[in-house]
Amino acid sequence: MLTHAHEKPLAPKRAVVIGAGGMVGGAILKELQNAKIPVLGITRKEADLLSPGGADALKALLQPDDAVIFVSAIAPAKNAAQVMTNLRMAEAAIAAFAAVPPAHLLYISSDAVYADDANPVTESSPVAPSTTHGLMHAARELLLRSEYKGPFAILRPTLIYGARDPHSGYGPNRFRKFAVKGEAIGLFGEGEERRDHVAVEDVARLAVRILQHGSTGVLNAVTGVATSFQDIARIVAAQFLPPAKVELVPRPGPRPHLLHRFFDITDCYKSFPDFHYETLESGLKRVHAEVQAGA
Amino acid sequence: MKPKIAYAGMTHLGLCSSIGGASKGFDMLGFDADAALVARLDQGKLPVVEPDLDDMLAANRDHMAFTSDPAKLRGYDVVYVAPDVPTDDLGGSDLTGLDTLLELVLANTRDDVVVVVLSQVPPGYTRARQRPGRLLYYQVETLVFGRAVERATQPERFIVGAPDGATLPPALKAYLEGFGCPLLPMRFESAELTKISINCCLVASVTVANTLAELCERIGADWSEIAPALKLDKRIGAHSYLSPGLGLAGGNLERDLTTVIRFSEEYGTDAGLIKAFVASSKHRKDWALRTLHELVLSKNPGARIAVLGLAYKENTHSVKNSPSLALIRNLAPWPLTVFDPVVPASAAPHPAVTGAPSALEAVKGADVLAIMTPWPDFKKLDPAAIAAAMAGKIVLDPYRVLDPVKAKAAGLDHRLLGVS
Repeated sequence: MLTHAHEKPLAPKRAVVIGAGGMVGGAILKELQNAKIPVLGITRKEADLLSPGGADALKALLQPDDAVIFVSAIAPAKNAAQVMTNLRMAEAAIAAFAAVPPAHLLYISSDAVYADDANPVTESSPVAPSTTHGLMHAARELLLRSEYKGPFAILRPTLIYGARDPHSGYGPNRFRKFAVKGEAIGLFGEGEERRDHVAVEDVARLAVRILQHGSTGVLNAVTGVATSFQDIARIVAAQFLPPAKVELVPRPGPRPHLLHRFFDITDCYKSFPDFHYETLESGLKRVHAEVQAGA
Repeated sequence: MKPKIAYAGMTHLGLCSSIGGASKGFDMLGFDADAALVARLDQGKLPVVEPDLDDMLAANRDHMAFTSDPAKLRGYDVVYVAPDVPTDDLGGSDLTGLDTLLELVLANTRDDVVVVVLSQVPPGYTRARQRPGRLLYYQVETLVFGRAVERATQPERFIVGAPDGATLPPALKAYLEGFGCPLLPMRFESAELTKISINCCLVASVTVANTLAELCERIGADWSEIAPALKLDKRIGAHSYLSPGLGLAGGNLERDLTTVIRFSEEYGTDAGLIKAFVASSKHRKDWALRTLHELVLSKNPGARIAVLGLAYKENTHSVKNSPSLALIRNLAPWPLTVFDPVVPASAAPHPAVTGAPSALEAVKGADVLAIMTPWPDFKKLDPAAIAAAMAGKIVLDPYRVLDPVKAKAAGLDHRLLGVS
């Protein structure tokens, strides 16, 4: 649950997006620009948090009145080395924040921090990650919370989709890539697992609202609607002419322990009553149009 | 000769209990340090809303006196101490007021007078306040807002904490026997925990109902068909609390859950079940908010909302932890009109609320209606008249105030707890 410092939106003097080169960071940068908020986007080019001088480079770019969104990550963190890499990035950022404390800090985390059996998931669900990716985000949250003493918010998105999705994770983006190549969309098992998917633009809109309200606390960026991969595959397949084929393929391993994941989004209704998520069907249609148009 | 009984603290509990005693033919005194309150009570003006309470006071006025002078307590044989014990938002109790009133009573009563703590207290309270030469007891109160007269005049049993766990002083025994129900003396800690245990059992039943009612909403079942079947099972019982609702409200049940959790932390016992009750209540309280967003607000950003009922339940003016207010608190962006037969619109936490003079006036032009308190008057509303007055058709009716068949016939999209 978020607590707002400003009941009515108030633009920060300047917003800084650390990790502006990625899909999520880029979307947030764009949304901040749309909201006419002065913004500095920082990519690896301006401050490489993994280089020896990364913390100093970031420090030199920050100003005390900045509202900072820390989104930079090597994701997903699939093994110990990738976890440690992400923690070193966080360590550098924390060193920079210690030298130039932001007026407000928002960390873009992940719903992977929650336990698998926390259905329905809320912001109060225990943080008990079952993956190295979840562990990485949980550790970063804790490090930031421990070392940054100012107003701190965490946004935990679920599976994100968007036109600029660089990953090929099982879901809408991978399905689209197969369809574009004229190949069948492969569904593991019956594709019966139900998951929540959120548009990157909605994540960005929430991030901007959190900055504008000076919010502290935790909010999940989730739509509250879980859709089966089979339904997602059929939506994506139908966007192509002729429609892409959907094939059931044997699972590479046992069926995942987490069959379905549902979210209760009441906290979002309370934090931002007039905010509503784009539906998955509408979002996938929009993404398809954007990709077709070369956006 | 009948003992003379006094109640210190003219609260909802103290008033209803003392008037109930008067109805049994005992000479009663109601004491409160608030002289203005006592003056109003003397005129028969009661500050609480309870069916039949005003009439019962009028009918037994000869046996009921009020005073703000504590010295008058000296003439009484049993003095109950019954102030409200306020709770914070987390359900924690503030016992300061009770302690202060208890000291005042002890200072203004004879040594042979039986002093009985009637307020809700945590285990250990009464034993910790024992003192040599005084008779201090604890009695479980089972007040139910909206049914206080029935509870005060026809109690199921009296549960009394006694120093030896077994014996009641003659004056107290004579008074309680006047109600014709079983007397259960027990040790202090047992009596204090009995009160909490009763409430935990009630919460357990309600939580079962709420949990399964939510499932009903998703799988095509109807909890209103299931609950009567359960009540015919003797192990569950005809009077069991199986009506789904919008979470716990009123403060007393929440207080007891908080007490159990606090004690479990102090003594290392398992309170996982109690924490689950709390989480379930919190989840269910937001049913109306979630349903409103899913059905209306996500599709109609300018929706006009009407809410009937602000009190936490029918027949009371109390809004403590009211589901209605919890809903309204999150509706700031939308135009809102409210009506409650007792609670003024100013109690609604909304920046631009409009109070309507009647229920039908409130629903005029509304895109969606939420009936958040099951006031008897609302049950008389004609669904056809509601449908004609509203701009939209969606009615959230968690307490089944409207007849579902008539509502459907009127063309309303009638949303209930526990039904798909």
